[in-house]
Amino acid sequence: MSEAVKPDPEADALFEIVRRRYGDRLTPAQLDELRKIVAGQLEAARALRAVTLTNVDEPMQPFAPYRTEP
Amino acid sequence: MKADVVFKPLRELGPLLESRKLSPVELTEHFLERLERFGPRYNAVVTVMREHGLAQARRAEGEIAAGRYRGPLHGIPYGAKDLLATAGAPTTWGAAPYRTQRFDFDATVISRLEEAGAVLVAKLSMIELAGGMGYRQPTASFTGPCINPWDANAWTGGSSSGSGAAVSSGLVPFAIGSETWGSILSPAGYCGLAGLRPTYGRVSRHGAMALCWSLDKLGPLAQTADDCGLVLDAIAGPDPKDPTASPRPYRYETLDRKTFRFGRIRSVTDGCEEAVVDNFARSLGVLGKFATIEEVTLPDLPYEQITRTILQVEASSAFEDLIGSGGIAGLTAPEDRHTPYARDAILAKDYLKAVRLRTVMAREIDRVLERYDALVAPGRINEAPVLGQEFRSAIGATAKDVMGAIGNGAGLPAVCVPNGFGVRGLPTSIQFMGRAWEENTVLAAARAYQSLTDWHTRHPKVL
Repeated sequence: MSEAVKPDPEADALFEIVRRRYGDRLTPAQLDELRKIVAGQLEAARALRAVTLTNVDEPMQPFAPYRTEP
Repeated sequence: MKADVVFKPLRELGPLLESRKLSPVELTEHFLERLERFGPRYNAVVTVMREHGLAQARRAEGEIAAGRYRGPLHGIPYGAKDLLATAGAPTTWGAAPYRTQRFDFDATVISRLEEAGAVLVAKLSMIELAGGMGYRQPTASFTGPCINPWDANAWTGGSSSGSGAAVSSGLVPFAIGSETWGSILSPAGYCGLAGLRPTYGRVSRHGAMALCWSLDKLGPLAQTADDCGLVLDAIAGPDPKDPTASPRPYRYETLDRKTFRFGRIRSVTDGCEEAVVDNFARSLGVLGKFATIEEVTLPDLPYEQITRTILQVEASSAFEDLIGSGGIAGLTAPEDRHTPYARDAILAKDYLKAVRLRTVMAREIDRVLERYDALVAPGRINEAPVLGQEFRSAIGATAKDVMGAIGNGAGLPAVCVPNGFGVRGLPTSIQFMGRAWEENTVLAAARAYQSLTDWHTRHPKVL
């Protein structure tokens, strides 16, 4: 007996972005696969969100002001 | 030409060329013949650069004869992964939509190797777009699946697939590959080679296909760790054309160390095949002759999610035009033709959380690594996957690779070398990962291991 899939409104909403943008290019099987991938991405995002950071935790900055030297 | 030059390390080829016991032109002819004869067998080559290679070889021969020996790569043929721009040949990125693409300049790595006197003889095959679209099978290249010289039913690994096959089968003495997550260590490990992933920024990326700006690294695959050092010496260094190239100078140093301190992550063999676990245990026994090995517990962080999220988003952005236009439909692997669309659903805030957490990861792992010369681990979790089957991967979240996630996410150097064979007769490997900018330390550790083992002297039969 298969376990019932728990509803996940956030996963549904994120998948809807993909479906609306690209649905006309995709088969039902591909859409099903993308739904699973989006759910996996969300699972990863939730693992990231679960770690608490503070205001001082910055990205390592690659940005630098630019100006052409003469 | 004697056949014994084929698997000879660069360290031994160089003096033969310098002393003129070996001719660069004859050596180049020999490897060109092997590339043309055996390259198609392994799907290892995109373009053989016969005329270009012979011209460089003739120049090297003239310079050496005139007493202008440039160093240990002078007159030595090599191949470059086909994501490096070369003015004299197409640069296909392994992908059908780019099969006729040409650039009118050389990547910095190609220019540096030319300055060192090396002879470019081939552009080598690769997984399409360096695997950044989420491939799950060896066929993901318009040149076909790259076949492992150790077993015609096995894959080479990827995405620097041709670099692995060509060096392993003796079609070139060394090759340049790239790694975003696993693309040097995977083919090197599966093909029984040494592969070096340098620190991020050690080698200029100018002229290399961008997959992920903050993760891409270029490095060598060769017969030994020592050879990797010789190549790194030639290609490393600052480059005004790549703002992420570090201003730190680099020189390969070969001072032999007597003792090392290694760490070993507690759960690092979880999910590995039995033969990989056994060979790693034996390797630890060898390392124990000259090193202490301590078990290490890492801080609890979502390492794989951090690096995977950054990779997926940057790759999606780098190929926004191809994905948005639907051009990915022209890619070879069926999954590469649609799965990238899912990445539009990764939120910017989550991506930035991954980028911020990368800083924490880099700081925490450096705190661990400062007590050691390197962390040691199996190079791969398994023997090379079978052709025609989907494989497990950390990027696809179907396998664990904490070392790869940390090493690539934090931009740390690692070298892998062969450490035995599995039940199918394919090579297994061990990796040494060090602190940022410690290539010389990880190479010294790998050299010390190779000085006590002979796995690197075994080669597949190529007839």
